Amino acid sequence: MTRPLGLTCLALIILLGTSRAQPNEIRKSVARITNTAQEPNYRIPWLPGAQGGGSGTGWVVSKDRLMTNAHVVSNAKFLTVEKEGDPRKYIARVEHIAHDCDLALLRVEDAAFFKGTKPLPVGGIPELESTVTVFGYPIGGERLSVTQGIVSRVDFRAYTHSTVDSHLTIQIDAAINPGNSGGPVIQNGSVVGVAFQGYSGDVAQNVGYMIPTPVIQHFLRDIKDGRYDRYVDLSVGIFPLFNPAQRKAFGLADDDRGVMVSGVLAAGSSAGVLRLSDVIMSIDGLPVASDGMVELEGERVQMAEVAERKFVGDSVKLEIVRDRQPQTVEVKFATAFPFTMNANQYEKQPQYVLFGGLLFQPLTRNLMSSFQFQNPRVDYLFDHFIQREVYKKHPEVIVLSSILNDPLNTYLGDFKEGIVEKVNGVEIKTLRELAAAFAKQAEFYVIDFVGGGRPLVLERAAVEAARERIKSRYNVTDEQFLGETTPAS
Amino acid sequence: MRSFLFLALFVSIAGLRAEQPKTLAAPTVKLDESHHVVRVNITNQNWDFLRPWGKRAPFTRRAVGPVLAGGRVLVSGELVANANYIELELPDGSGKTPAHIEVVDYECNLAILRADDSKFLKAFEPLELTEAKVGDTLSVWQLESTGVVLAAPGPLTTVEVSRYPTDDSSFLVYRAQTTIQFRDSSFTLPVIKAGKLAGLVVRYDSQANNAEIVPTPVIRHFLKDAGKKPYAGFPRTGLGFSNTRDPQFRRYVGLEGSGGVYVTQVLKDSPAAKAGLQPGDIILSIDGQPIDQDGNYRDPAYGKLALIHLISTKHYDGDAVKFVVQREGKQLDLTLTLAHRDVESYVSEPYVIDRAPKFFILGGLVLQELSRQYLKDFGNDWLKRAPQELVYLDRYQHDLFPDHPKKIVILSRVLPMPSTLGYEELRQLRVTKINGVELQSLADVPDALEKAANGLHKVEFDADPSVIYLDAAGLKGDEEALTKTYRLPATKRL
Repeated sequence: MTRPLGLTCLALIILLGTSRAQPNEIRKSVARITNTAQEPNYRIPWLPGAQGGGSGTGWVVSKDRLMTNAHVVSNAKFLTVEKEGDPRKYIARVEHIAHDCDLALLRVEDAAFFKGTKPLPVGGIPELESTVTVFGYPIGGERLSVTQGIVSRVDFRAYTHSTVDSHLTIQIDAAINPGNSGGPVIQNGSVVGVAFQGYSGDVAQNVGYMIPTPVIQHFLRDIKDGRYDRYVDLSVGIFPLFNPAQRKAFGLADDDRGVMVSGVLAAGSSAGVLRLSDVIMSIDGLPVASDGMVELEGERVQMAEVAERKFVGDSVKLEIVRDRQPQTVEVKFATAFPFTMNANQYEKQPQYVLFGGLLFQPLTRNLMSSFQFQNPRVDYLFDHFIQREVYKKHPEVIVLSSILNDPLNTYLGDFKEGIVEKVNGVEIKTLRELAAAFAKQAEFYVIDFVGGGRPLVLERAAVEAARERIKSRYNVTDEQFLGETTPAS
Repeated sequence: MRSFLFLALFVSIAGLRAEQPKTLAAPTVKLDESHHVVRVNITNQNWDFLRPWGKRAPFTRRAVGPVLAGGRVLVSGELVANANYIELELPDGSGKTPAHIEVVDYECNLAILRADDSKFLKAFEPLELTEAKVGDTLSVWQLESTGVVLAAPGPLTTVEVSRYPTDDSSFLVYRAQTTIQFRDSSFTLPVIKAGKLAGLVVRYDSQANNAEIVPTPVIRHFLKDAGKKPYAGFPRTGLGFSNTRDPQFRRYVGLEGSGGVYVTQVLKDSPAAKAGLQPGDIILSIDGQPIDQDGNYRDPAYGKLALIHLISTKHYDGDAVKFVVQREGKQLDLTLTLAHRDVESYVSEPYVIDRAPKFFILGGLVLQELSRQYLKDFGNDWLKRAPQELVYLDRYQHDLFPDHPKKIVILSRVLPMPSTLGYEELRQLRVTKINGVELQSLADVPDALEKAANGLHKVEFDADPSVIYLDAAGLKGDEEALTKTYRLPATKRL
């Protein structure tokens, strides 16, 4: 999100602390969302994929928009919304989708849908033990369902939709079932959360989770400029400072203050500002306890929550102790963490290059779940991509994921699952570079893979001769897709 | 009724024996054959690499061992791995004697046992060795409780080079198709061809009825090495290669004719490196034997075989072997002096058998050396269950550590004590330095601990949390409580 320039605000009015919604108004403002999704198949990336879908819940957040979970409307090709007491199905479309915090904003063009609804006001963080009511369209029937429970816990937790993000989460004991996703959780006539995930009954009982209002507000603010920029973070590892010896080594008093910086991601916001073994004493003026918690608006929360409430372009002030000397540093959040290959990706056409029947694809979680790779190197580079800074050398890890068998490549089976290092001596960092290397005229294309071994060699003439044969035999419509071209900013 | 049936069975066996059947289709039994084999009872007890101060529960297995000339009994290496007690028993159970391992090689999976009482095997007739070829009928021997040999015949179906249990070694195996009725608690059993020993069954797949056999050529090599002191072991070259099947690749490297393999890796200080072999060389022949594009040569006895057999089994440690290689279009003659590679020379040792795991407990931080044995203690699916980072370091050790740091020191777990407060969750981390001293092995730890500054030990890791400190005096104070609380028999073994 670039800073809003005054006028860029949408007509999106969030009714903070304004009039409470009455029970009948709430019921009318909760919609059932049906999603016809299309998910690409990474094994045949040139095809659009199969249709699937499901249903969830949404709620009226402003005069012409609905809020729901990102996972309810992911990969959507066709969306309809319905509400109680209205026989019609209305066509909706996704206006903004935030996969890292599992929220989405839908637009319904037909104003008739909103007749009789009321934008539900967004409240604060409910007290522990206080009662909340969940509205939605879960399994077990067609009509609106209402369940009730109490607030069990406020904690930082993983959001399973993307698999890699964690944010503030509120645990409640009201029944949350498939179909409830995206529905409002109400207290005193205000939305205090969006129901989004839970455990199946054989793991835990009466554990449901909702996205709390700080996350909802963050999403709404981020999109004010018309674009969602994702969360920013410090991109550091921190280690608690309980041990007296550890505290003594850093010259700290015995006052339960401060955490050690135990990892700094080279591609993250803190690179060049924070160093290993710095001790963070405070963040934006909030004292950091030795377990990494700060007190924010009356709640003890992880220090990360302070960064969670920031946006691209913001910064955070840290008081640190470095080499026993107190200092103040500022971390600027220029961009969200750039590498998302470990996260589930949605609405994206798979990128690939097909050359000589060899299918090259960048490693992503989607690719990992489509192929059961046996090469332990692939697993390692995937799991350690960020921690071991694999992205420095391989911003994209290009895998020879499969081979469309042809006389041209019949002896190349051993190379399957290899990770491309070089083509004709040139290091390959991205799929685009690979495509460019194959586009260059050469007699031989010599592909070196990570970990040595013999190079894979293709003769240009042989590749050309096989090209149409492979395309028609395997029904390949396009030989490459390098991704949507990003508009010059 | 029961006893009657038993009797009937007995009679029919006796009848079979009398008729001297020509066909080997059904199990045959000969009483006198039991003079060639002896029962072997082994009690093993493995070290627990995840709790390196102790051993796991002991277990006992029974096997059948062929008696060789000189009062030696041959068994598989696996059978005697970490043996606490070995006993030889007469086939009919009428006498037992303790025995000991004379020589064992876990790589070729063979061991020679000797009875403590040298007279114990006096009455036995030693078996001679014989080679077998595909199509020969082999007979797998077991012993009935009466001492009668139960022979399971079957054809030798396959002779090939295959991976051995320490999984860093490949040698020749025979595979036979046979139905083995389960009599004893192991499948270390002699394989007989026409009254001579052709190999030892080491593994049996009862669904495929496939017996995997350590064959005579490997046994002969082992026995010859066993006659020399010190025992040398099977030699290696220290090179990796890949096939050259793809015609496009052959044209690219300018390879004419049909054979040759492409050298992909030459380990530092290996026989191959010392002889000047380089990655990218194409090996055309070894020892005068042309090498085909898949890395096979033509063996006079077995036909097409992987070249590893030619090097590791046909040759011995110290042998000079001529390699003809093609490099940049020219042919070169190189002479490799083959050598066995000592298992302790690996950064992460592929196996640690009969040796107690090293460890050092630093005030509750359990420090160990990474080995594949350690990883394998995570269970059968250790590749998935063991810490991925450590599996990676072990698996790609030759790429990652071409200059051989001696060992990788890891913090395997923490036994929480007051002085380790806050470190309880640390585990499976590679330790790089203690008090600024780079660790080359666990043996460096005591000296490094002498270098504490300001009464603090500094321990550094190659991953988050990068560094922790421990109070040196606090550790000393905790030492006694540590051993008491966790009932540790020792706090270090270096």
